[in-house]
Amino acid sequence: MTGTLIRIALRNLLAHKVKTTVVGGILILGTIMLLLGVSALTSMDRAMSQSLTASISGHLQVSMADAKDKFVLFPSLIDGTEIGEVSDFPKVRKALESLPQVEAVIPQGFDYGMVFGGNLMDVKLAKLRKTHDDIAKPGGQGAYIATRDHVRRIVELLSEDLKNLEAITDEKSRGQETVQGINDVRHAAQPEFWRDFDAQFDARLNFLENKVAVMAIGEDFLFIRYMGTDTARFRKHFHRFEMLEGKPTPPGKRGIMLNHFAYEEFFKHKTARRLDKMKERIEEGYTIADDDQLQDWQRKNVKQYKEIIWQLDAPSAAKVRAVLIEAVGDQKAPDLGSATPHPTSATQAEAAAKAKPAVADKVPQTQEQKVRAEMVRLVSTFFDMNDTSFSDRYALFYKEIAPRIRLYRAKIGDVLTVRGEGAGGYAKSTNMKIYGVFQFRGLEKSILAGAVNIIDMMSFRDLYGFMTADKVKELAEMQKAVGVKDIARDEAEDAFFGGGDDEPSTNDEAGTDDALLGEAAGDAVDPANAATAAVAGAGKTGDAGFDEFADVDMKQGAQRWSDSLLNRVYTEKEIDTGVVRNAAIILAPGADEDDTKAAIEQRVKADKLGVQVLNWRKASGMLGDFVSVIYIVLLVAILGVFGVALFIINNSMVLATIERTREIGTLRAIGMQRRHVLWMFIVESLVLGIVFGVVGSLVGGAIVQWVGSVGIPSGGNTTVIFLFGGPRLFPTLAAWHVGIAMVMVALVTTASTVYPALLATRVTPLEAMQEAEG
Amino acid sequence: MSTPSRDAIVRLSGVQKIYKLGKVEVPALKGIDLEINAGDFAVIAGPSGSGKTTLLNLIGCVDVATTGTVMVDGHDTGTLSESALTRLRLEHLGFIFQSFNLVAVLDAFDNVEFPLLLQGKLNKAERRERVEDIMASVGLTDYMHHRPNELSGGQRQRVAVARALVTKPRIVMADEPTANLDSQTGHQIIDLMKKLNQEEGTTFIFSTHDPKVMSQADRSIELIDGLVASSEVADDGRLDTPQTALV
Ligand SMILES: Nc1ncnc2c1ncn2[C@@H]1O[C@H](COP(=O)(O)OP(=O)(O)O)[C@@H](O)[C@H]1O
Ligand SMILES: [Mg+2]
Repeated sequence: MTGTLIRIALRNLLAHKVKTTVVGGILILGTIMLLLGVSALTSMDRAMSQSLTASISGHLQVSMADAKDKFVLFPSLIDGTEIGEVSDFPKVRKALESLPQVEAVIPQGFDYGMVFGGNLMDVKLAKLRKTHDDIAKPGGQGAYIATRDHVRRIVELLSEDLKNLEAITDEKSRGQETVQGINDVRHAAQPEFWRDFDAQFDARLNFLENKVAVMAIGEDFLFIRYMGTDTARFRKHFHRFEMLEGKPTPPGKRGIMLNHFAYEEFFKHKTARRLDKMKERIEEGYTIADDDQLQDWQRKNVKQYKEIIWQLDAPSAAKVRAVLIEAVGDQKAPDLGSATPHPTSATQAEAAAKAKPAVADKVPQTQEQKVRAEMVRLVSTFFDMNDTSFSDRYALFYKEIAPRIRLYRAKIGDVLTVRGEGAGGYAKSTNMKIYGVFQFRGLEKSILAGAVNIIDMMSFRDLYGFMTADKVKELAEMQKAVGVKDIARDEAEDAFFGGGDDEPSTNDEAGTDDALLGEAAGDAVDPANAATAAVAGAGKTGDAGFDEFADVDMKQGAQRWSDSLLNRVYTEKEIDTGVVRNAAIILAPGADEDDTKAAIEQRVKADKLGVQVLNWRKASGMLGDFVSVIYIVLLVAILGVFGVALFIINNSMVLATIERTREIGTLRAIGMQRRHVLWMFIVESLVLGIVFGVVGSLVGGAIVQWVGSVGIPSGGNTTVIFLFGGPRLFPTLAAWHVGIAMVMVALVTTASTVYPALLATRVTPLEAMQEAEG
Repeated sequence: MSTPSRDAIVRLSGVQKIYKLGKVEVPALKGIDLEINAGDFAVIAGPSGSGKTTLLNLIGCVDVATTGTVMVDGHDTGTLSESALTRLRLEHLGFIFQSFNLVAVLDAFDNVEFPLLLQGKLNKAERRERVEDIMASVGLTDYMHHRPNELSGGQRQRVAVARALVTKPRIVMADEPTANLDSQTGHQIIDLMKKLNQEEGTTFIFSTHDPKVMSQADRSIELIDGLVASSEVADDGRLDTPQTALV
């Protein structure tokens, strides 16, 4: 009988064309949506999994089981960082790598640190000292004079700036220190200060460093996020890692590789970076005329003209001026706004002068000042771009201005001084050579993953500031050796090497003017990781004996120590031994994540390793949650569509039931039982579901195939790019996607048939007899 | 008036049927005593609204009496469950409807086969043979795979007749089977029914307005206003037109 019922169902589908089209259309649409959604999500999950597991997290993460906080790769503000330290990493590694499913166990540690230096004034003063030292070398004289003149230029610009500050603030609101500072800068800007500068070099430079530099407001430091790891083994097992510039940190050496995203975002000249971002956004189709974000960057570029002007020495300034006169000389200057808390421009000085003539009158405009005011006008006009002028000016910027300024705060080959913010408890500094710039393929634009720079395990431990019992003992002995009592560990540096404000050491390894090591002033850039270096040196190695430099010349010793540290090659055993906060597990090809996790957990228990295992999704914290959220959103959307389908199918089935009352009554009259009527409706709904589920799956499958070959564009959104694992997502279809779609459709059609079917069972055979007769 | 008989296949005694329309009670049958014998070709006549359909529904087990008993093939329909009544209809009754009531989406063959499927007694080959036989006897061998909308009214009613008879029921009910046919086609259907009645011995109970049809019957019951006005048996199988008895 079911065969005939199916025939009835199929023929009913054909007979009721409108109903079939509507219901079928919705079911097909729902199926297509479901297939697309599920395949896109699984592909997204896979893409994310691949990009994240092959770049940062590995497939599984192990960390200390009894730690206070749970381990997360990208901690949010509420996530604690006390994840503990793996108590015996070599043992854990050995035990876990003995499992056939495990390819590698890579030590890791994530932390934040501060990079100091890069303040223009500091850097230029350091350069001035260096060129003065090298004055006897060939070309030394010229280099020194150029640097000196640039410093003078900066001081004069600074003096003008501060004058403006004076002009718009009243006496009372300025503190005593500020008043003194302004006077010092003014003093240094006087021609007299520079007349005998060469003769009085040390005194003058000291004055600039100690009195003037502090008044130069600028970005003194930036935060960087880093991951300490065994860099060689990391590169071998994390396939999404790729070098863009420079070379990887050599195996066993100390060093840092900067993440391209972080390098661009944090190290690049702010104006240049904003221009880059503007270019990207304009390419996405936004216009300066309509887009708030673009206008915001634009405004900042105009207001921050100082970021350009200060960096130009006299010859560069002349060249840029000529270029800009040609480009924008005849254009109206933008309004720089008068409500800025730190007015800086000459135009504002003029405005202020009008408001307070008494102050301005005292300072007559010299020719040089006029030239500088002109420069401000030119630069700010140049950056006041519109949609037509943008691309030309962008090109001009990179052709003429960029080569004359410091485009990045640090370059490959520089030695970077980083101060760990001490997740381990103590702030510590260390020096690392910048070997290169890399990226994680697929995570190029990820704000989270793109911020992770890679440092070696040794430097990481220095920065982490973890004190083992041995180290505490060593420190105590070191204190004894130099005869200092009750020295606090975090004051050790200063105690050994003096305060931060005296002679910064030079950095011959980097060999660049703008190297950040030591050239920049401040405590934090003291000679390399002094205490730790000393501690380690005293205890372990002979390559720069502690005694040697402790006795003779602290500073020189420290410098040599630093150099020798940077040149030292550590063995894998040394890398593995010591603080390891967490470790990434790379699975052997084909190994199942969950199975391996179980196997590892068993092993951990058996060997009492004391660690816990998280899969990458859990370990990635809110990112994993994010995927779950998307799952839920998709689920809700699909439920919505099927909810509508259910409603419409239900209604049309009710109508069909009413329409078929006579037929049902007839069948009841000739002997069809109620349950058969019910069965008839269920068969019909199943037929409906199967027919349109199959059609929908075929169409949906074809669409997924097509989309899978073309890819879904991310639209340039960084989050989306991250989720897509690249600029485009290529969804693929799996059998179980179709399975889910079919089950879903069957459920929906059956559910939507329940009510009409019940109505149908209530039709009595009498309905067959009713005639519209007289 | 008829007298009780041993081979009565339908027996009604004291049957009343009162329809309730809200608070209004409509007495459709007001006390019917009636017997119909197996093999009868019985016609129920009477003016519109006299209760013919109501009476056929009670005999056809699609409705139950308000009072009185309705015995069909030995079963007291008033005591049977809904499901048992359905079973009774399936096994012992056949129905021919005024509007044919074929399943529109099934062809003639499938329509006729359907009651056999519901019974589930015969295998496919047996069903085919049975359907083909009955289709031959209603003269539709060439139309077995036509859908109802591809058939004329007379052909459709023949399919309906075939469907009613395919299960070899004891009784076939037909409420005005010729009402939607022209008189010539109507008479052909009655002739067909009569033929099957004679060949198979199946009891036919049907209603009609058509005097010519009535003359075919060997048993005639006339209803007026919910009561049996006359009940006649024709010795020669033919009845006088009941018009004379009507007021
Ligand atoms: N379902 C019903 N509800 C109420 N009254 C009904 C119903 N069916 C029939 N009747 C009434 O019962 C009487 C008999 O109807 P019916 O048996 O259809 O007569 P006939 O078939 O002879 O025309 C009529 O008065 C009719 O109006
Ligand atoms: Mg009637």
